[in-house]
Amino acid sequence: MTFTKIVKTLSIAALLAITPQAAMAQEAVPAAVVENEQLTPIEEAAAPGEVPAGETEAPEAAGSYVPMKPTEGKGMPVDGGIDFQDQYSEVGQQAYGMHNYLLMPIIVVISLFVLGLLLWVMFRYRANANPDPSKTTHNTLIEVIWTLVPVLILIVIAVPSISLLAKQYEPAPEDALTIKITGYQWYWGYTYPDNGGFEVISNMLSEEDARAAGEPPQLAVDNRMVVPAGVPIKVIVTAADVIHSFAVPSIWFKMDAIPGRLNEKVMQIDEPGVYYGQCSELCGARHGFMPIAVEALPMDEYNAWVQSQGGSIKGAEEAAAETAAADAAEEEAAATPETETTENAAADAEPAAAPAN
Amino acid sequence: MAGAKNHDYHILPPSIWPFIGSMSALIMAFGGIMWMHQDHFGAFGAWVFYLGVAGVLLTFYSWWADVVREAHAGDHTPVVQLHLRYGMILFIASEVMFFVGWFWAYFDYSFFPVPLELAGEGKELTATNMIGQEGAEALMQWPPKGLEVLNAFELPLLNTLILLCSGTTVTWAHHSLINGNRDGLIKGLWLTIILGIVFSAIQAYEYSIAPFPFAGINYSSAFYMATGFHGFHVLVGTIFLIVCLVRAYKGHFTPKQHFGFEAAAWYWHFVDVVWLFLFAAIYVWGGWGAPVH
Amino acid sequence: MTTIAANPGDMETHADEHHHDDVPPFFQRWFMSTNHKDIGTLYLIFAVVAGIIGGAISGLMRMELAEPGIQYLQGWASMMQGSAATEDQGLHLWNVLITAHGLIMVFFMVMPAMIGGFGNWFVPIMIGAPDMAFPRMNNVSFWLLIPAFVLLLGSTFVPGGTGLGAGTGWTVYAPLSTSGSQGPAVDMAILSLHLAGASSILGAINFITTIFNMRAPGMTINKMPLFVWSVLVTAFLLLLALPVLAAAITMLLTDRNFQTAFFDAAGGGDPVLYQHLFWFFGHPEVYIMILPGFGMVSHIIATFSKKPVFGYLGMAYAMVAIGVVGFIVWAHHMFTVGLSVNLKMYFTAATMVIAVPTGIKIFSWIATMWGGSLSFKTPMMWAIGFIFMFTVGGVTGVVLANGGIDDAMHDTYYVVAHFHYVLSLGAVFSMFAGFYYWFPKMCGRMYNELLGHVHFWIFFIGVNVLFFPMHFLGVQGMPRRYADYPDQFAYWNEIASYGYAIMGIGMLVFFANIGYSLFAGRRAEGNYWGEGATTLEWTLSSPPPFHQFETLPHIK
Ligand code: HEA
Ligand code: HEA
Ligand code: CUA
Ligand SMILES: [Cu+2]
Repeated sequence: MTFTKIVKTLSIAALLAITPQAAMAQEAVPAAVVENEQLTPIEEAAAPGEVPAGETEAPEAAGSYVPMKPTEGKGMPVDGGIDFQDQYSEVGQQAYGMHNYLLMPIIVVISLFVLGLLLWVMFRYRANANPDPSKTTHNTLIEVIWTLVPVLILIVIAVPSISLLAKQYEPAPEDALTIKITGYQWYWGYTYPDNGGFEVISNMLSEEDARAAGEPPQLAVDNRMVVPAGVPIKVIVTAADVIHSFAVPSIWFKMDAIPGRLNEKVMQIDEPGVYYGQCSELCGARHGFMPIAVEALPMDEYNAWVQSQGGSIKGAEEAAAETAAADAAEEEAAATPETETTENAAADAEPAAAPAN
Repeated sequence: MAGAKNHDYHILPPSIWPFIGSMSALIMAFGGIMWMHQDHFGAFGAWVFYLGVAGVLLTFYSWWADVVREAHAGDHTPVVQLHLRYGMILFIASEVMFFVGWFWAYFDYSFFPVPLELAGEGKELTATNMIGQEGAEALMQWPPKGLEVLNAFELPLLNTLILLCSGTTVTWAHHSLINGNRDGLIKGLWLTIILGIVFSAIQAYEYSIAPFPFAGINYSSAFYMATGFHGFHVLVGTIFLIVCLVRAYKGHFTPKQHFGFEAAAWYWHFVDVVWLFLFAAIYVWGGWGAPVH
Repeated sequence: MTTIAANPGDMETHADEHHHDDVPPFFQRWFMSTNHKDIGTLYLIFAVVAGIIGGAISGLMRMELAEPGIQYLQGWASMMQGSAATEDQGLHLWNVLITAHGLIMVFFMVMPAMIGGFGNWFVPIMIGAPDMAFPRMNNVSFWLLIPAFVLLLGSTFVPGGTGLGAGTGWTVYAPLSTSGSQGPAVDMAILSLHLAGASSILGAINFITTIFNMRAPGMTINKMPLFVWSVLVTAFLLLLALPVLAAAITMLLTDRNFQTAFFDAAGGGDPVLYQHLFWFFGHPEVYIMILPGFGMVSHIIATFSKKPVFGYLGMAYAMVAIGVVGFIVWAHHMFTVGLSVNLKMYFTAATMVIAVPTGIKIFSWIATMWGGSLSFKTPMMWAIGFIFMFTVGGVTGVVLANGGIDDAMHDTYYVVAHFHYVLSLGAVFSMFAGFYYWFPKMCGRMYNELLGHVHFWIFFIGVNVLFFPMHFLGVQGMPRRYADYPDQFAYWNEIASYGYAIMGIGMLVFFANIGYSLFAGRRAEGNYWGEGATTLEWTLSSPPPFHQFETLPHIK
């Protein structure tokens, strides 16, 4: 760390404190830019002998899946960043907007207001300037004001906050694809009950492997959670041993994985890409080493990926199940009763292994 | 004591008991840990634990012996007695919050039951959380399906009556005391103590015949720990009353000054009320419609 | 408190010679004490020792986090266990460090200093009482902390799962703390909390009884100094919150050792139940750590503004309101556990309500200074620093209170930044303010004003450089309780670690100041702050006589 860097840091901090705009201008999500970007990663990822897959061109055969190359700065933290990661989901953008254009300005203004008042009284009423203190101890009007104004500010915050919550917890549509996430010490398992019920086990890549693959170390994994982009997905989160938390900052998603519970939340990612996250509940020694990588693909590529995993396409599978009832026994794990998730548990996929004592 | 003391508060001389009590607590805690982890600490844990318990008991005994001595020395002026009253009430308030914790657990399980599948019978019951399995919803009930509970209207009801009775006998003792009737005080105390012991005995018997095991199921955990901590408080209350009985024989109490007795009586009533909640919530409400043993 | 003025006629000769004869010999005085001031001193010494240990542990943490990769952990773990540690054992040590740091700072530094130390010293004096209501019980409150601390420190040397020590976080969430941590370490930590809790409950009973029953004639409840008010509210929070924690950790203990299934999903237990019980205690706990600070700051601001506190009643009842509302907001720590959306809306709204009474306090402090005649002695610097830094920490709390926003912030460094602003820059600032304010009163010698200012400025800069960047790390998504992090987080982490070094230099100045003042400080007279200082402790000598107020003061 050089001295200049320290100075730079401090000045950024100071700047930030002075103008909320500095923080907000940083990396607000310019939608247009995002759209331009979305094809690049896939093109880059194209392996020899494969059709560069754009949004419109679906890869032909099963087994043609090649992990997408991540885009620098997308779906991952940026060096020395001071703002949220760019948001790639609707809730994310709404929440991001609420934070950067409502909460941040309010708290910065309040802090500066308090600071300003303090500096003013420190200057104006220092003993030299004001040797005779007043004895005022009451002023009903001002007391009422400083009670009511905060109340009003809080109401201004609470209203969009409540609607944000409502938005985040809109239930998934009936026919949404279900993916079940299980936290283990210390890796993730992704089960696809609607696609034949296979489970993808996802471990962190070692630093060398990650660098070799051109991925950020400590975020990269061997097998990603692959999801279709642009559609709501019903995500069910649970854990097999201790509590973990499935968190992906760039889509504003965090849901605890708790043994004995099935937590449900909708995930909808706007566009294809790789989005990294990290386990966000202390779960033992390697808590910091069970990262999450979500790869969102256009639906047809997603389906191709499913087939490469030996799974079945969602609609097709249902049809098949109707005709061949015999298969049902085999696919036991895939049978997905649409039971409601209650506060405390119940229903879906397979039993969550509970911690043995 | 300073000669200039000009107020009614109680300025105490130095005392070793806080120090001894704390160190005993350390020995007790550490002994308990040694006992629970014999693989790590070897086989002496129990002895260390009991040594600590002995130290703690010695501390309680000597400390309160000092308090009694001070009371007789006239240190417990009206304002100091008021302190003791506040102290006892606040202590009971904290105890109430302690039980809130156990009731919280019980209601959590009963309002939000999880699908539990029980295998085996009676004391061999083992439970499995059936989360996510087909038909799990059918198992979302309280008490867990397949579990037999104790019939609220047999021994538990009897115990309720016993405790209610003991509440009246302790009041009898109190009234006798206030009216200078030492005989009534002693009789009332004897009765209360006997009722307390009978309660504990019945409770112990009930544990021994309970149709569900201690380990492994949320119902049992909540049941045994809540009633068990209540039982422990009954025990403490009984000992407290026995101390009062001894002191009554020794003539320590006067109609005017007998806070030791009152504290015991308050504590007893508190224990009584907790039981009423346990009885209503766990035995009656919680067992309503469930198969009984 | 605005009208408190002791009747001078009632309180002349408190430093009479014959009182000094009462002072017991060394062992009796310090091990068998029944004197609130001596016990307060013991508490303060204890808190300083704990603060050094907790602060040193955070130094180890900042060393490790200064750059990405695992630098030292494995080596330290090897040192502790006396044999080569595996990588996992090194990582486990990280969890042990943060657990010990959190618990030590909360239970063994802030609480003993504020309540045990300053509370013991000044609550009786401020209400004109000769001592606490239960002087002997007061001493057991202190001494129970010793075994508690021994157990906690000892736990780091016994197995706790992957490695030595309890690596559960200060929140001790099940099932990581039950089936996830084999070995005695977590049991020792749990029993440590039991003992510390018992200590605090007994202390709370003592304070409430003292404050209700031992106010000098004429001191009605609405004339009590604000520090007394703050300790009163704090004591109620302790009394009602700690037993619930006791129940929760007892459940942990039985789940661990006696096969109960409170939090064991296989037996129908509910891990989230633990979190409810913990935070029902835990949220009031954070106000336990700040309310006494509020009290102290009120006095200091008034003293150095030479002006009575503005809006005394509003200040007092704001604290009561914070205490009451503090009991119904706990689940804002659990926004991501899968609460129903209605619950999240409720807890969002309820949590934000606390900003209102807190704002009343902030603005009343400023109004106290308004029109005053301010002198910037060291305590005043800390108090003003407190007002600003606590505001910064408080408003980020309001951001976190929004359930929908917290989905991104929860368990990231944003939360770490928030609570260090209210704790390490809030509670600790107020502690230093109180310490400088009363140090001469307690030991009879003035501290060095220049060193005090130097300490303030270095510490102030240090902790801001240390904790402000954590907001950035948090919004970028860096999770807490990580021993290592992706390279992208390196920049701000390095800055933060530099901040620690700056802060550390400040602390050296602090200790130098104490050392210097204890031996060479100028003797302090009774009221060394002059006319601004109006509460009863300023009517006594510095230090006060071993037994003060043997004739009770009358309050007009
Ligand atoms: C001294 C300790 C202390 C204090 C006082 C506070 C005060 C507050 N805290 Fe904090 N908090 C902690 C200690 C503290 N906290 C700790 C230790 C944790 C983490 C625990 C863990 O997980 O390990 C935590 C975590 C925490 C969370 C959970 C975050 C998460 O884990 O996801 C939340 C969420 O709501 C929260 C909110 C608040 C709020 C709203 C206040 C409010 O009381 C703040 C009120 C103050 C102000 C708002 C400033 C002054 C007011 C004005 C100037 C008036 C005008 C203001 C407005 C109109 C906004 N805190
Ligand atoms: C009061 C509480 C308190 C205080 C003061 C501090 C002080 C500091 N803390 Fe923190 N910290 C916590 C409470 C506190 N902390 C808690 C609860 C957690 C969460 C743990 C968990 O996740 O489980 C945490 C976690 C935590 C983390 C996150 C760890 C992780 O998530 O992986 C970090 C990382 O840098 C950190 C660093 C520091 C540093 C550098 C300081 C420095 O400011 C330290 C400097 C030292 C002092 C400021 C103390 C000096 C005081 C005295 C010497 C006593 C003086 C006495 C008198 C005047 C009487 N702490
Ligand atoms: Cu898994 Cu943290
Ligand atoms: Cu809180």
